[in-house]
Order: sequence, then structure tokens, then C-alpha cells
Amino acid sequence: MPETEIAKTTPSKPSVWSNWLGRARTIRDVPPQLESWMFGLAFMGLALVVWYLVTAEWNGERFMPRYKLPSPGETFASFPSLWFDRALSLSAIASLARVLGGFMLTAAIGIPLGIIAGCYLRVNAFLKPLSVFGRSVPIAALVPLTMIWFGLGEVQKVMFIFIATVAYVLFDTTNAVQAVPDRFLDTGYTLGAHRTRAKGARRATFFALIYALIFSFGLFALDDQSESHGLLRGMAGSSFWLHALFGLTLGFLLWYPIQSHQLLRKVLLPLALPDIINNLRLVFGVAFGYIMLAEVIDAKRGLGFIIIQSQRVGPREHIYLCLIIITLLAYGIDQGIRVLQRKFFPYLKNAES
Amino acid sequence: MPSPEPSAGMPPCVLEDMPPPPAGMPLIVDFENVTKTYDAGTPRAFTSITDINFKVEDRPKIGEFVGVLGPSGCGKSTVLRLIAGLAPHFPQTMGKVFVNEQPVQGPGPDRGFVFQDYSNFPNRTVIDNVAFGLECAHVEEKERKAKAMEWIQKVGLDAKRDGLKYPHQLSGGMNQRVAIARTLIMQPKIILMDEPFGALDPTTRQSMQDLLVSLWRELEATVFFVTHDIAEAVYLSDRMYIFSPSPGTIRHQLKITPADRPARQMQAERSFQESVLAVRDILEKLELEKAALAAKGSPK
Ligand SMILES: Nc1ncnc2c1ncn2[C@@H]1O[C@H](COP(=O)(O)OP(=O)(O)OP(=O)(O)O)[C@@H](O)[C@H]1O
Ligand SMILES: [Mg+2]
Repeated sequence: MPETEIAKTTPSKPSVWSNWLGRARTIRDVPPQLESWMFGLAFMGLALVVWYLVTAEWNGERFMPRYKLPSPGETFASFPSLWFDRALSLSAIASLARVLGGFMLTAAIGIPLGIIAGCYLRVNAFLKPLSVFGRSVPIAALVPLTMIWFGLGEVQKVMFIFIATVAYVLFDTTNAVQAVPDRFLDTGYTLGAHRTRAKGARRATFFALIYALIFSFGLFALDDQSESHGLLRGMAGSSFWLHALFGLTLGFLLWYPIQSHQLLRKVLLPLALPDIINNLRLVFGVAFGYIMLAEVIDAKRGLGFIIIQSQRVGPREHIYLCLIIITLLAYGIDQGIRVLQRKFFPYLKNAES
Repeated sequence: MPSPEPSAGMPPCVLEDMPPPPAGMPLIVDFENVTKTYDAGTPRAFTSITDINFKVEDRPKIGEFVGVLGPSGCGKSTVLRLIAGLAPHFPQTMGKVFVNEQPVQGPGPDRGFVFQDYSNFPNRTVIDNVAFGLECAHVEEKERKAKAMEWIQKVGLDAKRDGLKYPHQLSGGMNQRVAIARTLIMQPKIILMDEPFGALDPTTRQSMQDLLVSLWRELEATVFFVTHDIAEAVYLSDRMYIFSPSPGTIRHQLKITPADRPARQMQAERSFQESVLAVRDILEKLELEKAALAAKGSPK
């Protein structure tokens, strides 16, 4: 009772403040969206202020010299030279394309294989050494190795991303499928889910054709001589059709087991899919970081290439700009995938994390 | 207040021992000396049910409601899952399980199952959940949706309003109605229900019991119904199996007056309540037995 009286006599302002303080001190109290954004902005503002202070001139001297850490003003002023002289947009697209290429390969192989392994535990046991090895191998050591195997061109960069990420996606997908509760399997079985060989073969053939296209045209596009050869001459070559055949076989083998059982196609795959996509999103962020490793050695363009050039011949400002741009790009893609997730999985109450 | 006499013209609720099935009748479910042992041959070997024997006659156009009662852990779910053919309880270690005089090979849509946990597919709307079985049977989309709407209506949901909702937007009772609809739409001759109303409040429970009785009449199926609620079992069952404590075996086979009037009305009658008390006495004795077994087993 006395509390309410105090609240009455000293109205609004102090009570709003103490109210807020009370909520801020409550464990797991969820702030309004706007407030969350304000806190995020506050951190960025703070970082800018610190950056500004350590690079500002005091009596002709600065705490951090320009060649170590340029001031915010200096950094942002160098953007035009980064954009025009260093062709930032081309490099950004090149980096993104490499990551996407490698990542597509990872998804195309890791996801179906992971689903099969998640359903058939013998396949899982067979693949286990691969995923243990793949997830503990030092990624940086793969750069020289992939150069030995695939040369210095685009194939090497794409394969590097593929080798670096496929074990994670395989492992995560297997786990996502295994995490589907047994009661959904029981429900599916008792409602009559069964093997459908003919239908499965038809659907798997469709997937196989897509794989054939990806492998034939994709590998052709990665070929450094592709521009000089032209598509027609490329298609005349035997390697083009060999790649297509390889893709066709691989696509069929990977998707037939999934498409030919209703329990996999109608129950396990859709139930595990949100998890699979979520893990894919996280691995993509990591892959975007990995590509820099491959680009600092002998690349002709790419964000990693710009960074190493700026370190060698300057201006150093470009390094910081690139870091900011990379983070913004990665964040943007991440948010894009999340929007798609919400659209495609409307039943997920919390499509977050 | 319990009314002293059964409602006018209705027979009183009577409990009596099950007579053996007349020879020559076809059997819909038949257990012969069924035993299930996990990790057999290892020190961890554990027998969950032992030497289970029962026969349920196939009564076309009528069906039968079999209540299954017993102390916790005695193997009620195991027996239901053996009929359904669901691992890891299936296959049995010893003995034979026949359904329609054929040994059970694995799960199939001829034996519907309603689980205690809400097991509607979270990625499917109510309509698509109910239509799942028909979808698996390659029924054309338009036909199966129409049929699903019909069944959603039958279990007391609003097909228009709730049909497009996802399971997480439904209450527990509504979810179990969907689970019942998706099972009954397949018109199985055997329906297995493992504590389907275990998580529901008493009022919802009673209306679900009435719903079940009315739908079951229409389907003419044989229902196996596991429950811990004695009144529910006495109300719904034509026949009741009471299990001994683990390792479970069937201790009593009882015949009971079928549920031929609404749950609220029948459950208020004195003869009904006497039957419930009689069953409760049996179960309390079994619980004591279980405690004695545990006390004997523990010191060593
Ligand atoms: N996969 C398993 N491995 C080993 N033991 C098991 C397994 N599944 C069940 N059991 C054991 O079998 C016994 C019977 O289990 P069951 O689930 O059939 O009991 P229940 O009568 O349904 O119990 P409740 O009333 O609690 O649901 C239990 O003691 C349980 O511990
Ligand atoms: Mg049980």
C-alpha cells in the first residue's frame, strides 16, 4: 500500500526510470525491439568514439600512427579509391561467387549424404571417420594442398571451400535427421508410409539431371580457358560430357534413397529441413571467412586479394574498409536467408538463433 | 450425486470374468506365449513382458473395445506396439503375435495408433496432417482434402477455421482430436490407443470419451485402449485386461457392460461406481505386489 501512494505523489518520470531499471535487472526480461536496436547502435557508436579518440591528434601527436590505424575520417575518405582504382565491386562479386560455388557443391553432396546417413546408421558408421577427420583437419593447411591438386585457378578456390565445409554440413545434417523424434516415424509408419520405387526413380532422375547440368556447365565456367574456348567448343570436348555423366550418376545415387521412401520424403526430410538450413547458414558465414585464406595467395581479384595488396603497397585504409564491407556482406546474406526461412517454415514459432 | 438405480431401461454396469472364446471363431488379435526380453544373453538382459496369452475374436460389424490396465512399467505399451509392429518392442523374443490370423510383419495402415505425446507433424496444417495417410496411399489431392475436411468436422473441430492452422496453434485437446481424425480416416480395423487422453483435463477427457464411443460405433473396429484412469476404462471397455507388475503378464480378463450412454450419465450410476471400486481393489493389490517385488529385488 505505501508503495502505491509514493507512486501517486511523485508521478511519471522517476517511476518510469525505476521501472525500466527493474526490468533491465531482471534475468531474461525481453526488451522491446526498438530498445534492442538502440543498444546495438550504442555499441557501434561507442566503437566509433574509441576509434576516433585513439586516432585523433593531440598537440600534433596521435596515440596510434596512421600506418597502424587510420582515423575513421581517413578510412572512409579512401572509399572512392577502393571502389574505382581497386574495382571493389568486381572483387566482392568474385569472392562471393567462389564461396557460393564451393558452397553449392557442399550442399549438393553434404545434404543428401547426411540425410541418408541420418536414416541408415550403417552408412553413418561408414562415413564417421570422414566427418571426424574433416572437422578436425587444420583448414589453413588445405590451401597449399588444394594448390597442388587443383592448380592456382578458380577450381582450386571452389574446391578449397568445398573440402573445408563439406564435413560440417554432412555432420550437421546427419544430426538434424537423427534429432527428429521417433514418434513422428511411428506415426508415419502406422499411417502407411512405405517405399515407392518407381516414383522415387522418377524423382531421382530429375535431381540427377540438375546435377548433370551443374557439373558440366559449372566446371566449364570455372575453367580458366573457358572464355577463349567458347561454349560450343567446350561442349564438343569429351570432358564436358564426362562431367555431365558424373553429375548424373552422383545425383541419382544421392537422391534415389531419399525420394524412394515416403518416410524420408514426407516426414524426415521436411522435419529436419529447418535445422539443416539453419546449420547451412552458420557454415556459410564461416566459409565466407575461409575464402580470404585462399585469396591471399596468388589471386587476381577478390576481397582477400585487396587486403593483401593494401598491406603490401597501401593504402592501409583499404584493409579496414574491406573488413567492414565483408562483415556487412556476410550479415546481409545471413539476414536474407533468415527472411526466406520465415517464409518457407511458417510453422516455426521461433525461426531465430 | 450418484443415482441409486441405472437409468430407466438401461442394464446395470456388471463386471464378470471373461469366458473363453468359442472355438472356431476367427480371431482378429491373438497372442500366444509372447515374451519380450531386451539385451537377451547379456548381464543387462531385461524381460518386460512374459508369457502373454489372449485372444480377441473378430466380430465383423461390431468390433470390440479392449481396455488395458496395469501398474506403470508392466508392459502395456509394449503389447500395443507389438500389435502395431513398431520397433524396438517389435519383434517379440518368444511366442507368436497374430493379427487377422497372420503373423505381424511390421507396421501398416490397417492398424491405427494414437499416441500419448502429441505427434501431429508440425510442418503440416491440420488438413494435411489428417490427409497424410491418404497421401501415402496415393489418393488424389482433391479427394483426400475433401475427406480430411469431413473427418475434421467429425472429431468436433471447425474444418474451415482450424483446417489451415498448424499444430502449435492448437490446444492439447484439439491436437488429440486431429490425431484421432488422421488415424480414423484410414478406417483401420484395429485401433491402438496408448493413453491418448493422458494429458487432458477431466472435462475435455469426458467429451473425448463420448466422441470416441460415437466414432468407434461407426467404424466397427477393435480398439485397444491403455489408460491409467479406471473410470475411463470401465466406461469405455467391453473387455478389460489387467496386467501384473513387471515382467508383465495378463492377470485378469474381465467382461464389462459396454458404454451405451453418455459418460456423465453412466459414470454417475451406483453399479458403475461399484465396478470402478472393484477394479481399483484389484489394481491396489497389484501395486502392493509390485512394491513387495521391488523390496525383494533391491538388497544385493
Ligand atoms: N527399448 C527398451 N529397452 C529396454 N527396456 C525397455 C525398452 N522399452 C521399454 N522397456 C521396459 O519395458 C517395460 C515395459 O514398458 P512399457 O512402456 O510397455 O510399460 P507401460 O506398461 O506402458 O508403462 P506406463 O504405464 O508407464 O506407460 C518397462 O519396464 C520399460 O523399462
Ligand atoms: Mg506406456
